[in-house]
Amino acid sequence: MSEPLLQLTGIVKTFPGVRALDGVDLTLRAGEVHCLLGQNGAGKSTLIKVLSGAHAVDEGEIRLDGEPVSFGDPQAALDAGIATIYQELDLVDGLSVADNIFLGHEKTRLGFARVADTRRAARELLTSLGHPEIRPAREIGSLSAAGKQIVSVARALSRRARLIVMDEPSAVLDPDEVEGLFRVIEGLRASGKAILYISHRLEEIRRIGDRLTVLKDGRTVAADLSARDTPTSELVALMTGREVSAEFPRRTEPVPEAPPLLVVDGLGRDGEFEDVSFSVRPGEIVGLAGLVGAGRSEIVETVYGARRAHRGSVTVDGRALRRGSVDAAVAAGLGLCPEERKSQGLVLDEVVSRNISLASLTRFSRLGATRDAAERAAAHEAARSVDVRPDDPDRVTRTLSGGNQQKVVLARWLLRSCRVLLLDEPTRGVDVGARSEIYALIRSLADDGLAVVVVSSDIDEVLGLSDRVLVVADGRVVHAAASDSLDAHAVLDLILATHEAADDHTAAHDPKGDAA
Amino acid sequence: MSTSSVTGSTKPATAHPQKRARSLGVARNLGLVVALVLLCVVGLVTAGDRFASTNNVITVLSLASAIGVVAIGMTFVITGGGIDLSVGAIVALASVWASTTGTQAMAENVGWIVIVTTAIAVGIACGVINGVLIAYGKIVPFIATLAMLASARGLAEILADRKTQIIRDQGFRDALGARPFGVPVIVFLFALVVIAGWFLLNRTTFGRRTFAVGGNTEAARLAGIKVQRHTVYLYALLGATCGLAAVMLMSRTQTGSSTHGLMWELDAIAAVVIGGTLLSGGRGTVVGTLLGVLIFTTLTNVFTLNNLSTSVQAVAKGVIIVVAVLLQQRLANRTT
Amino acid sequence: MSTTTPRRRLLAIGGAFASAALVLSACTNSSDDDGGDNAANAGAADNAESGETVRIGFSAPAADHGWMAAITDAALEQADAFDDVELIHAEGTNDVNLQISQVETFINDKVDAIVLLPFDGAAMTDVATRAMEAGIPVINVDREFDSPFAARTTVLGDNYGMGVSAGTYICEQADGDTGAVVAEIAGIDSLPLTQDRSRGFKDALADCGLKVSNRVAAEFTVETGERAAANLLQAAPKIDFLWNHDDDQGVGVMAAIENAGRDEFVMVGGAGSANVMRSIEADDTVLKATVIYPSTQGADGIKLARLIAQGRSMSDLAEVEVPRVVQLAAPTVTKENVDQYMDSAFES
Repeated sequence: MSEPLLQLTGIVKTFPGVRALDGVDLTLRAGEVHCLLGQNGAGKSTLIKVLSGAHAVDEGEIRLDGEPVSFGDPQAALDAGIATIYQELDLVDGLSVADNIFLGHEKTRLGFARVADTRRAARELLTSLGHPEIRPAREIGSLSAAGKQIVSVARALSRRARLIVMDEPSAVLDPDEVEGLFRVIEGLRASGKAILYISHRLEEIRRIGDRLTVLKDGRTVAADLSARDTPTSELVALMTGREVSAEFPRRTEPVPEAPPLLVVDGLGRDGEFEDVSFSVRPGEIVGLAGLVGAGRSEIVETVYGARRAHRGSVTVDGRALRRGSVDAAVAAGLGLCPEERKSQGLVLDEVVSRNISLASLTRFSRLGATRDAAERAAAHEAARSVDVRPDDPDRVTRTLSGGNQQKVVLARWLLRSCRVLLLDEPTRGVDVGARSEIYALIRSLADDGLAVVVVSSDIDEVLGLSDRVLVVADGRVVHAAASDSLDAHAVLDLILATHEAADDHTAAHDPKGDAA
Repeated sequence: MSTSSVTGSTKPATAHPQKRARSLGVARNLGLVVALVLLCVVGLVTAGDRFASTNNVITVLSLASAIGVVAIGMTFVITGGGIDLSVGAIVALASVWASTTGTQAMAENVGWIVIVTTAIAVGIACGVINGVLIAYGKIVPFIATLAMLASARGLAEILADRKTQIIRDQGFRDALGARPFGVPVIVFLFALVVIAGWFLLNRTTFGRRTFAVGGNTEAARLAGIKVQRHTVYLYALLGATCGLAAVMLMSRTQTGSSTHGLMWELDAIAAVVIGGTLLSGGRGTVVGTLLGVLIFTTLTNVFTLNNLSTSVQAVAKGVIIVVAVLLQQRLANRTT
Repeated sequence: MSTTTPRRRLLAIGGAFASAALVLSACTNSSDDDGGDNAANAGAADNAESGETVRIGFSAPAADHGWMAAITDAALEQADAFDDVELIHAEGTNDVNLQISQVETFINDKVDAIVLLPFDGAAMTDVATRAMEAGIPVINVDREFDSPFAARTTVLGDNYGMGVSAGTYICEQADGDTGAVVAEIAGIDSLPLTQDRSRGFKDALADCGLKVSNRVAAEFTVETGERAAANLLQAAPKIDFLWNHDDDQGVGVMAAIENAGRDEFVMVGGAGSANVMRSIEADDTVLKATVIYPSTQGADGIKLARLIAQGRSMSDLAEVEVPRVVQLAAPTVTKENVDQYMDSAFES
């Protein structure tokens, strides 16, 4: 192999009270896709910030082309040819594609923007990435997540980046879009760029990665492994420090004669989904499978009242819910763990116990005055019952890992004694080890008599977790069956069949339809 | 943070961060206490007995009362993620409405309480309009209350015909001008509002919801909190405090006027922000606001005692805002 | 001037006021009675005759306090009283930019004259000069421009004179006691008019060996007057004389005095609101006198603008042209002469 492009040795970075990086070694070569694996909190984000110049290192050495370097600020890292594409893309929504690509190093003459040149250069970059259909004059805000990602890559290239760091780029993409991204990455690799690819999804790493490095607790625990051939069990063991046996908990039969707890009948919203009907019995887990943009999240949010239904009804235990009213839904015993946990689910700067008690405040008050001790004790108990770690109800929620934040939202609904639980992407941003815990938790909740609805883009997750599966495509339920009777291929076929049948319709209909 | 398994006794794990959180709160207010003490020391050194006299202390507290009550209300709105630029105008409108000849004639028949009720009702009505425009009309708070600022003061001018309205109702003057234990009633009212405000923000579901709505509106909504209704309540509460402030001003000046409360929005916001309430919402402190108001009022008092011009005061006010906020940030960072 | 005794000076000022009132006719009264049968009206008979119809632009700051409201009201009433004046009234504003654009609109409209009470004299000088260059006479009211070329005629109150009158009155009352504690509550400190008043006050006090020992500034509103006075009363535990620049804020000052239970001093007001005059008449508070700052200046401005636009002269002067400057006097009102001034007082 050639001389390393970038070599990190013994990197240490401490924050007050935390040793975020505690001896990280990483070697990157030109023309390779290097994957970085690690649980949430293993130090991946800190490492990215070190590479992008946002954090200065306390100890250790960074060598670029064999020469020791130190990045005082992000500009220095950019000048050295290292570009980072963050998970929350740092694009300016109000500016055009071309302006975003050249933001910070605008093409100007005597202080005047050279619009035509900028657009031409932007078009060349986008074409070289295989996406000539993204027009340089278009406003960024109107692009899909995938489109924005392509623009971010073009921006990195416009800086003559030699190393592109990608932080969970697939998290916001649906499978088609991920394929498109991979084609772009392969093109970059072929042109001799180095890619540092960070993802939770092992299947992606196997598909796109060349080599991989595993971080745990701020240390490199394994480096230079083959991305394709290292067994999954070994990777999971390296990340979590324990062997993972069964990912999904065993199903238990719901009581067959029990009447359905949640009945959704003919639900519809203009431009989003139509004629959705299903029911869930106590103890049953029903999954909604489908691609991003198919309308799954819209369906559960409408059931919950967060969006107002235009047609149809939602009935809980025989009583119809008022349309478009979250508090009516909550009063009837519904609980939602939303897709965007941080922006929709949690008050991040508030402590764990108060996030848990948020939906049950009236229970812990007398004449409007809160009974703090009782509230905290009950919240603490709920947190323990779902095993939130660390076991500290006074901890600020922001500092928890993704999996534990998800458990906090679950604990909220347990404390509220909710009877119907709606889970939208319950394991998004949750690392592999913690996922099985969440699965087990969801199953045990169902066993306790809750009716559960699960939405996920991960078809295996829906199939593995649910008792019954509804396949959603293009705003309609195209198939409903017991999950034993389906496999991932069958579900994908159902989805793709709908797509082909309604291709024209989709283009006019799908709000996110401008994907690459 | 890594999910290393934490087992064993939970006592130490829970006790420590709580202590940390409390000392953080103290640290946040410490900067303000230091600033206030420093001001008092300056006052004592330069003005001696004139500063330390009971009368002067009562004067400072009386002057802090009306603007202080508004600032407490503002603390709730800002903690809940909003802002209200119309407070001064609402104070003016409430004072004018409550002192019109019509209201005063009614007060003569029914009693001075009519004046107080009118002022507070007008304040609440303006607050409800603000809240409804913001929560249901989806107008940004800055714009909605800017509109209220203009129209409430305009309406006050029309009602008052740009004249100062004298309050002749003796009952009102006696009731609110009373001085139990030598301290004016309005100072007691202010103290009451501070205590009630502290309790409401820190010890009730209303306060808890305010933090949640300001910290993350969407999460609060999806947790079943009636965010829109709560927003209306917050602005109505601030409106009520504006009405009460108008009553206090009417008691002190014995007039209602469309010029009452000019620029109070900025004074109130300044006091709230140097008090440590986050302008972006989700974090708020009534005690901090109280200290902020006292600092500004004491500042003016000390400067007047030393016969210094208003221009110098304005400069000092600006410096204090910056220093107090910097000090808070320093102390808060050190403890985390 | 420095040789005259305070009493003689006061008389001289009173005389000046009387003559100004004569010359300018009964400006506030001309609109509200039908006949006009007093001596002043008879003297101005020539000027009262209708001439060619003229269009006059009028712009003043926002009528946000009693005195300013009275200025605007009197000006509008005055214009109404003439059948040969078409008044174009721009909405009162405290925004200098807006006021500049108002004058620009007048210039574009080719009005025959402009009566301008600037929010800030210096800021309006340029646009007023442009109006003059465009051949439109500008009558500057109350707050002076920076340049003599910006106005055809200037109607001024006498801010310095107000301070002098207040100071002179206090000197008289102190009657040689040079140890008397004198306090002053000024208006908005950044305005030149406030500085002029304070300067006049200081100069007059210096004549009899007194000086201002405590000074605070309010903002011409009741609430700020109360706040400033409350602090001032704490700063000065014993006061002999207090001059408050402005009767609008004076309502708040009086409230603060009452709140503090103080009555050991004599207070003098400023501007001359009807409330204050009634209070002086009743003689039941510390308020014993006020110095007048006439609220009829706008109306005088309209009168002069009409004459200038019609190319006429002032019928009571031998001079052919309307004078360049008309400065109104600042008489002292006490219980003895309050009847005389009650009619011209403004309601605040």
